[in-house]
Amino acid sequence: MSEKAAKADGNEDMSTINHHGSHAVGGHHDEGSYLAPKGGLVSTMWAWATTIDHKKLGVMYLAAVLTLFFLGGVAALAVRVELFQPTTMVNGKITGQVFQDAGGAVAAGHAIYNRIFTLHGAIMVFMVIVPGIPSALGNFLLPIMLGAKDVAFPRLNLLSWWVYVVGSVLGVVSIIMGGVDTGWTFYTPYSTSTDWDVYMRVVLMIGAAFVLGFSSILTGLNFVVTVHKLRAPGMGWFDMPLFVWAIYSTAIIQVLATPVIGITLLLLIFERLFHVGIFDPAIGGDPVLFQHFFWFYSHPVVYVMILPAFGIISELITVHAHKKIFGYRAMAFASLGVAFVSFLVWGHHMFASMGEMASAVFSALTFLVAIPTAVKVFNWVATLYKGSIQFTAPMVYALFFLFLFTIGGLTGLPLGTLSTDLHLHDSYFVVAHFHYVMMGGTIISFVAGIHHWWPKMFGKMYNERWAIVGACLVFIGFNLTFFTQFILGTRGMPRRYATYIPEFTELHQWSTYGSFILLLGFLVHLFVFIHSLVAGRPAPKNPWGGLSLEWETDSPPIEHNFHHEPLVKHGPYDFETTVPPHWDPKDYPIPASNFAAEKH
Amino acid sequence: MMTSLFEHGLLSATLAEGNALRDFIFGTGGTGHHAEMVEETFAWIFWISAFFFVVLMGLTVLWSVQYKRRATPVALVSSSHNTVLETLWTVIPLGILAVMFFKGFQGYLDLSVAPAGAIEMDVRAAKWDWRIIYPNGAESTEREKLGSAKEIPIFYMPAETPVKLRMVSNDVLHSFWVPDFRGKFDVMPNRYTYYGFTSGPIKGEKKLEAGPFAGTPYQDHWLFCAEYCGDSHSEMAAVVRMVPRETWAKIVDSWSGAGLTPVEKGKRLYTIQCASCHSIDGSKNTGPSWKDAFGKTETFTDGTSGVVDDAYVRESIYEPAKKLVAGYGPQMASFKGILSEDDVAAIIEYMKTISVNHKPAEGQK
Ligand code: HEC
Ligand SMILES: [Cu+2]
Repeated sequence: MSEKAAKADGNEDMSTINHHGSHAVGGHHDEGSYLAPKGGLVSTMWAWATTIDHKKLGVMYLAAVLTLFFLGGVAALAVRVELFQPTTMVNGKITGQVFQDAGGAVAAGHAIYNRIFTLHGAIMVFMVIVPGIPSALGNFLLPIMLGAKDVAFPRLNLLSWWVYVVGSVLGVVSIIMGGVDTGWTFYTPYSTSTDWDVYMRVVLMIGAAFVLGFSSILTGLNFVVTVHKLRAPGMGWFDMPLFVWAIYSTAIIQVLATPVIGITLLLLIFERLFHVGIFDPAIGGDPVLFQHFFWFYSHPVVYVMILPAFGIISELITVHAHKKIFGYRAMAFASLGVAFVSFLVWGHHMFASMGEMASAVFSALTFLVAIPTAVKVFNWVATLYKGSIQFTAPMVYALFFLFLFTIGGLTGLPLGTLSTDLHLHDSYFVVAHFHYVMMGGTIISFVAGIHHWWPKMFGKMYNERWAIVGACLVFIGFNLTFFTQFILGTRGMPRRYATYIPEFTELHQWSTYGSFILLLGFLVHLFVFIHSLVAGRPAPKNPWGGLSLEWETDSPPIEHNFHHEPLVKHGPYDFETTVPPHWDPKDYPIPASNFAAEKH
Repeated sequence: MMTSLFEHGLLSATLAEGNALRDFIFGTGGTGHHAEMVEETFAWIFWISAFFFVVLMGLTVLWSVQYKRRATPVALVSSSHNTVLETLWTVIPLGILAVMFFKGFQGYLDLSVAPAGAIEMDVRAAKWDWRIIYPNGAESTEREKLGSAKEIPIFYMPAETPVKLRMVSNDVLHSFWVPDFRGKFDVMPNRYTYYGFTSGPIKGEKKLEAGPFAGTPYQDHWLFCAEYCGDSHSEMAAVVRMVPRETWAKIVDSWSGAGLTPVEKGKRLYTIQCASCHSIDGSKNTGPSWKDAFGKTETFTDGTSGVVDDAYVRESIYEPAKKLVAGYGPQMASFKGILSEDDVAAIIEYMKTISVNHKPAEGQK
């Protein structure tokens, strides 16, 4: 204890010096920016490929995830274009069908569409949303927020990255071989019987999901241990930023749930290759068993997808509103509570295929999950009260998140309610609901988080005005694309349809227009990011006035994160009592002079 | 206060009883007791959600404007924790959700427990056709074309009558959804599932135009497959046509296939069960066309070849995966236990009539 205190005192002195010494004072090479190139191009690339630095791994994940997001997004646009019109036969000629087969059969055209929506779903779920925030932002930030030099097992971290790469490559190979048409849920017996002509690609795609699962498990394990072992001196459990709590809860789910899907997918591969008869009724199996296995994993994974988003939003709202989070402990426990209950609700995906008793139990449990989630939203809104809100791109996004996620959450209610779900299940209402949660929630907060930590990650500011323009386009496009789909759903449009009855045409067209506005929004962001990397003004250490530890180190951080092990003396949200370190309020906000400032 | 409003049905009435918002959300086709119940529960959830949404977003916008950063940021001192408030906003939603759960469970039982005295019918699903087998064993012979030219059946249903469907699939999972009934249930290959409902009255002015039952009032509803099932999933549809109960009984009687010749019977079986994959005009579909198929020499995926004769057709129907025609996948499920030997023979007779490759034996000329 006294030793710890002594050490802490020593650090205290140093860090005071540090405040004024600012950028890269250190003499030896470890003190340079982690981004600084190592020798020539080849050796720099080799250094990145074999790096055990959590920051570089985080940046590589970010690049990979964004690339795959682009791929999945192109598939989504293709889907929207196909759905612009229903397929009709006019004088023996097919019209309104974009994907046509050389043979000219309508069904063969639909088969192409089925591959494309599967591709969209599989990429977005397994390669973008699940690994996105934890692997990219989590890797980069978790150790820094804890005041550590790296994660607990840096080599394991490198292994996770390469496992992720292998999994993604397998998936992409399967797509290049022609893709699969099983849907990302791989429901049996469809998935065990489709595409026998070139059956390896279904096995490949399932194999990809299996391998990606391992990457998740390894990363999760690493994060759990890191949080337990590597907190900086003075940081108790309840001094951790909520982003860390969120990543921690996520990691627990990943470690516990992912093995189940691993085994399930393995069984599925066996079923296809050796006809063991577990899921395929033709040989005595039970297809609903697959659904149980699948959702036992995939529902908790819905929270793997959303909890990190909650973490980001908690950081963003507090920092940009300069206000202590309302109900910190409730927030932390809500994360853990959601993680726990999420293991008990898998059956709500199967109301239309289970008995009464099981459905009742799952419906009740599902409503339980709604509570901690609602509490979080209440807390975020309450945090705004008497804050000092600056409308930066991350904050604008955080407010959009509140709007979209609230809709996403509330539309979950009629899906958890048994009688209404029997109408809405497997309809466009579900499609709209999970896009509001997964995209309006997770992707939006991911993009928000990228903006918030961009200056930290790359040491450059981005153009605030254009980023906000992009955010607004995304918001408008998103609502146009998906709100229409709620109505399509209640009116009777089933999901995964390549064509539809003429009554639905108008709403589908609005939805397609929306998707292109969405595209435009993301292109603006892409432009803003590239512009920032090329010509952005150097970022100060603490542009927004944050209190968590990442804002105490350089932008971008040095290779070992901190010049000296930090000592935690204030909570991450004590804005009322602490002046944020290294912070010049004049850094921000400067929207009008932003362009001028960049010319320096 | 809110709950008492709901109890008096004031707010829910605005959505459930024929008004613009209800029509906007669901369309105007809803029919039957169950649909009313679902719409009512949905309305209840809708207004609660709207209330929370407006309060939350209202506060967000209000405070965003009120506390916009103006000069150097100093957050005003305010409590960041309030036990009473936090308990309230946990317990109140919990109460609301409990009520929501019970309402939902009631409606669910209403759908899965068949009404008393129901007429029982069998639903058979197979890629990508629906069949309904009426109590007298008959099946609908009336068909209609979707925009894409795929033929779908028209199922006649008695209006204002309790009905119980016993459903099973011949291949993968499907799901029986008539959106206007506001309910669906999965159809599985390994067990029966049931779907019970009491059909509603006939709305609208439509009357059958031709045929022996011309002048009968009717109302059409869509039947869709809601569980993804492959290539033509989006066209696995049918029309559910409500007609008065007495007329329904007469129509169904008129379909009982007695007195058909084998060729007629074969053609009917083809239309109901095979047409979604096999054309008779030579165009390639999920399966090979039957035009000029009988008697021709077919090449298989394993490189061998053989003549399409009686034995081969029978084998193709009962064990379709045994020999695969080159260029096609194993999409066809076995019809063993579904088509009898007589049915197969009838199909063979029908195939002969549409093939130039079929050379009738000497004596038959
Ligand atoms: C889901 C689509 C599908 C349905 C429905 C279907 N088939 Fe097929 N059928 C196929 C495919 C694909 C092939 C080609 C591969 C094979 O040989 O199994 C085929 C092949 C055949 C062949 C061999 C044709 C040839 O030219 O060699 C016969 C005979 C046949 N089917 C009969 C039937 C009958 C009778 C029915 C209705 C009771 C039916 N099929 C329903 C998909 C279908
Ligand atoms: Cu189907």
